[in-house]
Amino acid sequence: MQKIMIIEDDPMVRDELALLLDNEGYEPLPVTDFGTIADQAIQKHPDLILLDIGLPGQDGFLLCAALRKTVSAPVIFVTSRDSGLDEVRALSLGGDDYITKPYSVPVLLARIRAVLRRSGGTSEHTDTLEAAGVRLSLTKGTLASAEKTVELTRNELQIMACLMAHTGQIVSRADLLDALWDSQIYIDDNTLSVNMTRLRGKLAELGLPDLIRTRRGMGYQL
Amino acid sequence: MTFGSFLSDRLGRIILWSACFAAAALFLFATGTQTGVLIILLLILLPIFLTVQAWDYIRRRSRLTELESILENLDEKYLFTECVPAADSLYERCLFDLMRRAGQAMISAVSDAKAAQREYREYVESWVHEVKAPITAARLVCRQLDGQSRRKLEYELAQIETHIERALFYARADSPECDCVIRQILLSEIVSQTVENHRTLLLQNGIRIETQGLDCQVFTDKKWAVFILGQLLQNAARYHGENPVITISAKPLGTQTQLTVRDNGIGIPAHELPRVFDRGFTGSNGRARGGATGMGLYLCKKLSGFLNLDIRLTSEEGAGTCAALMFPSKGNLSKL
Repeated sequence: MQKIMIIEDDPMVRDELALLLDNEGYEPLPVTDFGTIADQAIQKHPDLILLDIGLPGQDGFLLCAALRKTVSAPVIFVTSRDSGLDEVRALSLGGDDYITKPYSVPVLLARIRAVLRRSGGTSEHTDTLEAAGVRLSLTKGTLASAEKTVELTRNELQIMACLMAHTGQIVSRADLLDALWDSQIYIDDNTLSVNMTRLRGKLAELGLPDLIRTRRGMGYQL
Repeated sequence: MTFGSFLSDRLGRIILWSACFAAAALFLFATGTQTGVLIILLLILLPIFLTVQAWDYIRRRSRLTELESILENLDEKYLFTECVPAADSLYERCLFDLMRRAGQAMISAVSDAKAAQREYREYVESWVHEVKAPITAARLVCRQLDGQSRRKLEYELAQIETHIERALFYARADSPECDCVIRQILLSEIVSQTVENHRTLLLQNGIRIETQGLDCQVFTDKKWAVFILGQLLQNAARYHGENPVITISAKPLGTQTQLTVRDNGIGIPAHELPRVFDRGFTGSNGRARGGATGMGLYLCKKLSGFLNLDIRLTSEEGAGTCAALMFPSKGNLSKL
């Protein structure tokens, strides 16, 4: 499990962030004693550090420079200061990314994944999803049953991935739209219906026309 | 100061002197001075008197011109009294002294006002930064709620954020140079950041976003451009019609790149169009729907001035609105 150190002075944000990262399958390391951050970082070997610039009694920029000397983990600045100069300074001091509060949660997670991937940490991001007798390849964009393979478009791929990630659960249309928007596909409700129909057509080609069930008034279920 | 106005100003003095001359002539004549001598005296005194007046006129006019040119060349006109040359008469010295005292009162009032404004701006900025922490916490808490109430809360939180953003940029708009970092950036990066910032509003209103040709490099400040584009997107989302689609496209025009945000919403009545960038102007649509502040487009116009973006809005009632932003993009120079 990848360890993410959270250096954040607002207790509410710190706790919620720890909970979120825990749910996402990371091991959060929230810091509560801001006097010995560098020592804690050396001890616990985090894979990534989320660093708030406005810490009590210290400057996050200086802290980053200090951490850079002792720890190799990448640093993402998370701050409510959003002036352009701060960003330039953060990145020039060895920060790997810079996110301003209030961040949207999917964006934060995407940035964390991206930085972890770049830093070469063993990414647990899987390329293929398997459920209900079909296999989805995210990199190739194909969906395969036991005997046949079809190619999916970008939208269909994201819809299928979202459904397969929640196999057995009901996924509402709003959740699907959310998931698509997370992947920077900005579609509306009607377009989702069109894509759903196409996806079902392709599933029928695989001989599985009823794989996605419509639960009236609630959403879809695999 | 014309010669005529100078003379009329001196009229009383000239009449008094003339009367004195006449009285003296009369007295001399009565005591037996010859008429010829009187005429000679008059011929000597009159030119001297006239020359003195003319010389006085020229001296005062050149003095005034000098003072005027000092005022002309000052950026801060109220500092004039600090820059005047040494007084050339007692009267002028007293006058300058009075002006200087008035000017000093003015200077201290101006610097007090400036300090108050700067403090206010700093307070707004720090307040905005403080309020962002609880909003971040609320967003993270939202994540654990189930679908419907989460989406509603996220929508409200997004509303709060857009109001806060506007306050922050309003406070910053007076001294933009403190904050702008102009660099080369991909338009698609600006657009996707903006769409991400306003996703809840866009999703809530069932809006489809279509983009085309956004692979252009432009020179601008990302944060400010995202704010301006965000205001345009919010308007397009708020005043939408049936099957709302917002098309964001870009095309190079000379040394610039034009970014257009086109919607198929309810549009703006033609007679309101010239006033949409006015401060506090809400228009009939804004009043009918509520929630309009009249600040969004005003700030867009103001901020785009600093970024050298030319912003234009065209609209047809019932058919939609089209906003165009011209970004400087030196990259296009090479193609010319």
